[in-house]
Amino acid sequence: MALANVDIEEYIGEVIESSTSQFVAESRELNGAPPFGAFVKTGGVIPVYGLVYNVCTHSIEPNRRATAYGLTEQELRDEQPQIFELLKTEFEAVIVGYGDDRGPRQMLPPQPPGIHRFVLPCAEFEVKALTNNGDFLRCVLSGNRLPADDLIIASVRHAWAARAFDMPYLVGIGKDLCRLIRDDYDRLSSIMRRISQ
Amino acid sequence: MLDFGVLKKQIDLMAVDAKTMQDDFFARIDLALSEMDRWEEPWETLVTKIARSRTSWLVADTSGPFTEVCSRPERPAKLTVIAADGSQIFPDRHEIANCFLINVGYVVLHYGSSERPIMSSEPSLFYEEEDMYHEWAGKRSPVTREIVGVKRNAMELDKVVSLAAQAKEEGRTVVGLTDGTLILWMLEGKPYDFRRETLQTTLNGLEQLRQLRVPIAGYISDPGSADVVNGLRVGLCPEQPPDCDRCPWKAAEAQALLNLDGEEQQPEPIPCEPIAGVTDDMLYARKLKRGERSGVFRSSSKILEDYGPHRICFFYVHTGWEIGRVEIPEWVADDCELLELVHITVVDQAEKGRGYPVVLSESHERAVVRGADRDIFFKFLKDSFVKNNVKAENSLKQLKKMAATV
Repeated sequence: MALANVDIEEYIGEVIESSTSQFVAESRELNGAPPFGAFVKTGGVIPVYGLVYNVCTHSIEPNRRATAYGLTEQELRDEQPQIFELLKTEFEAVIVGYGDDRGPRQMLPPQPPGIHRFVLPCAEFEVKALTNNGDFLRCVLSGNRLPADDLIIASVRHAWAARAFDMPYLVGIGKDLCRLIRDDYDRLSSIMRRISQ
Repeated sequence: MLDFGVLKKQIDLMAVDAKTMQDDFFARIDLALSEMDRWEEPWETLVTKIARSRTSWLVADTSGPFTEVCSRPERPAKLTVIAADGSQIFPDRHEIANCFLINVGYVVLHYGSSERPIMSSEPSLFYEEEDMYHEWAGKRSPVTREIVGVKRNAMELDKVVSLAAQAKEEGRTVVGLTDGTLILWMLEGKPYDFRRETLQTTLNGLEQLRQLRVPIAGYISDPGSADVVNGLRVGLCPEQPPDCDRCPWKAAEAQALLNLDGEEQQPEPIPCEPIAGVTDDMLYARKLKRGERSGVFRSSSKILEDYGPHRICFFYVHTGWEIGRVEIPEWVADDCELLELVHITVVDQAEKGRGYPVVLSESHERAVVRGADRDIFFKFLKDSFVKNNVKAENSLKQLKKMAATV
C-alpha cells in the first residue's frame, strides 16, 4: 500500500496521524526529520503535499521520560545503546496541496493521507509548482496553531532556494505578502527583513 | 473495598514493631560481622563444622574464608549482554476461552561498538489440550499459574540460549542475565515426573550455554536470603556436630514452657539466636564497597542435587545502590574469566540502569502485559470467535464483576 510509487530508500517518515488539513509523521531516523518549513509529500496514488511546521523528539512511552546522562552522543551510543530505541522523532505538516495527473494542485486533498503512508521530500519541480504564486502562504496564515510568521519565512526561503535564489521571484512573493498582511506593517516588514537576511 | 480506618491502626502497629526490630538489628548485624571476622583464619574448621551439621535452614558452603572480598574487575571494551523476561495472561475459566498467553521480552545490548541493540518481544498463545491439561504422577489436572510460570521460565532461558548462540557465532563476548533465581525452588515437593521434565528443560538450556561458554547469571535484587549468616549461626553452636533436630536449648525452652505452673526457671538462650534474622545483604552492606563482590558460595538447596555440573553457586555484589545476589552455575564459578565477566557485567549493568541492571529492566519493559493489553487480547479473542461462529461468553461471575448492581 504505502510502497506504491515510492522508492523505499528515499522515505524520511511515515504518517501516524492524519486529517484534511494536517498530518503527523514519525521520522524514519531519530533526529532525522526534514527541516522546519520544508515541503514534503506522502506516497500513494494521490500524493499529498505538506509544509513541515513542527518537529519534536521524545520518549516512545508516555510514562518514561528522558533524563540527562552527562555523556556525549558517541559515549551514549557506546554505553547506553538502548536509549536510541526508546526515543522517536515526529514532525507535523500543514497540508498545502495534493497531486493528480496534472501535477501538484494548491488545494486541500479530497481525502487525508492514509495512515502509514511514507513521507518523502518534495522534488524541486514540485516545490516550484506549489510556490509559483503566494497562494500557499494563505494556508499558512489561515492555519490553526501554526508559527505563521516563521513558517512563512522558512517556506519562502525554501521556495527561493529551489529557484537558485532568483531575485525577481522574491520580489513577486513580497508583493503577495504585502497584499496578505497589508493591515500590519510592522509584522510585514519583520517578515520581509528576515526572509532576505 | 478497603476499610482504611481499620487498616490504618494495623499499619501503625506494624510500623512500631518494625522500629523495635530495626533497633535490635544493628546490634545483631554487629555481632554477625564480628563472627564473620572471627572465622577468617580457621575458616576450614567452620566449613568442616557446616558440612557435618544438620540444620533446618539453608547454609552456604564455601571453599574460602567467609570474609573474602573481590574488587571490581575491568570490563572488556566490547561486550554483549543478553536478557529475556516473560510476562503472561494466566488461564481464567471465567473468561471467554480456556487459554493462556506468554510474552517473552528480550534484549541484546552491544557495548563499545555503537551497534543498534535488539529489543523485542514474542507472544505465544497456548490453548491445545496438551497445553491446558497435564498428567503428573498419574493424576490429570488443569494447567495452574505455577505451571504457566515454569513454562515461562523455560521459554525465557530458551530465548537467552538462542540469542547467545547467535551472538557467539558473530564472535562476540557474551553474558546472559536473568531476573531472579536460577534455583527451581517451586519443584520441591512436586510429582517426580513434573520435576524431571522441568529440570531437564532447564539443564538442557544451561548445558547449551556451557558448550557456548556463555556465562549466565540470575540477578536477585533486595535478596532476603541468609545462607552466609546461617553458616555463622552454625559457628555459634557449641554442639559437635550441630543438629537442629536435637537442639538441647530448644528442648530446654520447650520444657520451660511446659513447666509454667512449677518453679519459674529461665531457660538458657539458644546460642545461635543472637544473629538470627540478620540477612546476608545486611551483612555485606557493611563488608563490601561499591563494585566489590563476596566470595563464591555453594547453595545447599536440596533441589540442586539433581543439577549435576550446573549446581548453582552465588555471590553478593555491591552495585553502588544495593547488595544484590548473583546466582551462577558451578561451571561459571570455577572459571575465573567467566566469573569476573559476570561480576563486572552485573556492576556495570546496575550502574547503567541506575540501580538495577538495564538489560533486565528493558527486557521486562518489552515483556510486560498491562491491563489494557489484556483487555485488547480478550477483545480480539471474542471478535475472532464471533466471526468464526464459535460460542463466546464470559461466566456469570465475570459479568457480575463488570457490571455490579446496587
